[in-house]
Amino acid sequence: MKILIIEDEKELARDISQYLKNEQYMCELASDYQEAMDKVYAYEYDCILLDLMLPGGDGLSILKELKRLNKQEGVIIISAKNSTDDKVSGLKLGADDYLAKPFHLSELSARIYSLIRRRQFDSSNVIVQNELTIDTQSKTVTVHDNPVSLTKKEYDLLLFFIGNKNRVLSKGALAEHLSGDLADMFDNHDFVYAHVKNLKRKLKEGGYRDYLQTIYGTGYKWEQ
Amino acid sequence: MTKLLNRPLKAFALFSMLILLISVPVYVLVIDYIWVSELDENNWLTLQHTKEKLKSRDFTADEIEKINQIWGELQPGVSITKIDESNTLQDSVYEVIRNNVYDEEDGEDRFRGLKSHLVINDQSYQINIETNVEESDETLLAVAVVTFLFFVLLIIGFIFLNRRIAAKSWKPFYQTLQSLQSFDLAIDKRIVLEETNIYEFRELNQALTRLVEGNVRAFQQQKSFTENASHELQTPIALLKSRLDLLLQQRGVTPEISDMISSVEAPLSRLSRINKNLLLLAKVENNQYQESEHVSMYSCLENSLALFEDYVAGKKLKVESSFDRAMMIDAHPFLLETLVNNLLSNAIRHTPIGGSIALTTGNGQLIVTNSGAAPLAADSLFKRFSAVSNEVVGSGLGLAIVQEIASKYNWSVEYSFREQHTFSVVF
Repeated sequence: MKILIIEDEKELARDISQYLKNEQYMCELASDYQEAMDKVYAYEYDCILLDLMLPGGDGLSILKELKRLNKQEGVIIISAKNSTDDKVSGLKLGADDYLAKPFHLSELSARIYSLIRRRQFDSSNVIVQNELTIDTQSKTVTVHDNPVSLTKKEYDLLLFFIGNKNRVLSKGALAEHLSGDLADMFDNHDFVYAHVKNLKRKLKEGGYRDYLQTIYGTGYKWEQ
Repeated sequence: MTKLLNRPLKAFALFSMLILLISVPVYVLVIDYIWVSELDENNWLTLQHTKEKLKSRDFTADEIEKINQIWGELQPGVSITKIDESNTLQDSVYEVIRNNVYDEEDGEDRFRGLKSHLVINDQSYQINIETNVEESDETLLAVAVVTFLFFVLLIIGFIFLNRRIAAKSWKPFYQTLQSLQSFDLAIDKRIVLEETNIYEFRELNQALTRLVEGNVRAFQQQKSFTENASHELQTPIALLKSRLDLLLQQRGVTPEISDMISSVEAPLSRLSRINKNLLLLAKVENNQYQESEHVSMYSCLENSLALFEDYVAGKKLKVESSFDRAMMIDAHPFLLETLVNNLLSNAIRHTPIGGSIALTTGNGQLIVTNSGAAPLAADSLFKRFSAVSNEVVGSGLGLAIVQEIASKYNWSVEYSFREQHTFSVVF
């Protein structure tokens, strides 16, 4: 999987690529408008992360250019300008997703995962992880063909874990994934613990091989 | 508090009253003086005439006595009496006050008299000539009444002129005042003061225009500063967040270190929240949320409650709600959502575990109550970064944002405490 990170903040771009590296992802970086354009013209990517504030030009015009060239890349806008206008115009211009800075790398990873999965397996909506099968169309989960009934939040968490395999996820990142912007209004994210506990219990009852590990004092990890 | 123009009016009125009061006795004295000297002259003429006539013929003592009687009956002004030789006097002027025989009403009369003597047939006579003079108290009264009438006229004139002057010359002043009173730093970019050809007002208007422009500039700078600063802070915060995420992934992270990393997350997300809120405040102030929609209050609250569900459950809170489902608000949906979320998250954060929250809408109001022990400092509650409690989570901006959004739409927000905290928004 090739990902183009168009981001003028080189440090952040490096962090993103480092986080994604251990997946099957290959990351390339472009730190200004011209470089980004050159790469967009020259190569094909599976996913493009696009910062809107770029030296030398506006990120939205890159988006327009992509659409004009009829390129099929999925685009996720990552912007410090958390404005609804940008979001709306970005999505209107054909971006697939919008993520406001500052974000957790795990959140970005989960979004990339779901974007690529949607684009790759156009025909099928099924994720298979060993004995675990997730049908994203009907939002049903089975383990060894046994249906596991999950609440919406448990299901969201499961997808989040799958999109961040072998990563340590902090409680804060999980809370932010579930409550979005509201999470930082509170300092106590213990409710995450209850959801994860239920998810683990249900998957265990179905008979999966305990991929979901609790990391002491920090959070959780889906090891596979 | 007096109006500026009434001050000179008062002073003028007092001054003219003083002058007129002084003028009354002066007038009286002057009139009296003229009067008396005129009468004295008249008396003297009469005396000369009488003397001449008496001397021109030889009158016997009896005749003189008769004349005196006739005079006394017909013309009481002149009288002749015998006197001793030794009492010969210089002519002298005198004044007497006598009861008025003819006019009982008037009581007393003042007479101006002239005494003289003459010798007829070796007999000395004294001639008295008296003329009625107006009493000075009557003169005083008349002058006082007239003066008072003029004073009233003066005052009426002053008031009238004052109004005229106020209406005309002070017009630019009142226009300027009007412009200043309606000037809002948050809305108006510049102030336009009417042209005037009165020097002082033009100076004033120029000074005010300069002052206001300076203030507007400072205000704009402050607003753009906040916005720019928040934008600039986003990147380092984003970097810190991503660094922490990466740090967690390192091999061989001991529980102690991962504890440390987790404990850094909380202040970092607080920093991020403060920054987001500052940015939001700046944007609301800069009127970046102009478009307005017809938003259902009910669905807005239902959405918020769904989002907060976990936090409510986590603290075992009881939430009671009674919603007017038909209530619609005209506002920017994001701003209404933000207002509701801030009030709700506040209530949830500050309610003790197992406490209760009540949400009510209807009659154009949203009321959020939550159980609490003691009232909060209502006056500083809605100020930015006011420390109403020692909690470490809030950005100190939540209620300031509520206030800012409310004032943008002219809604009123109030806090009261009656056994529980009550926040109400009147739309």
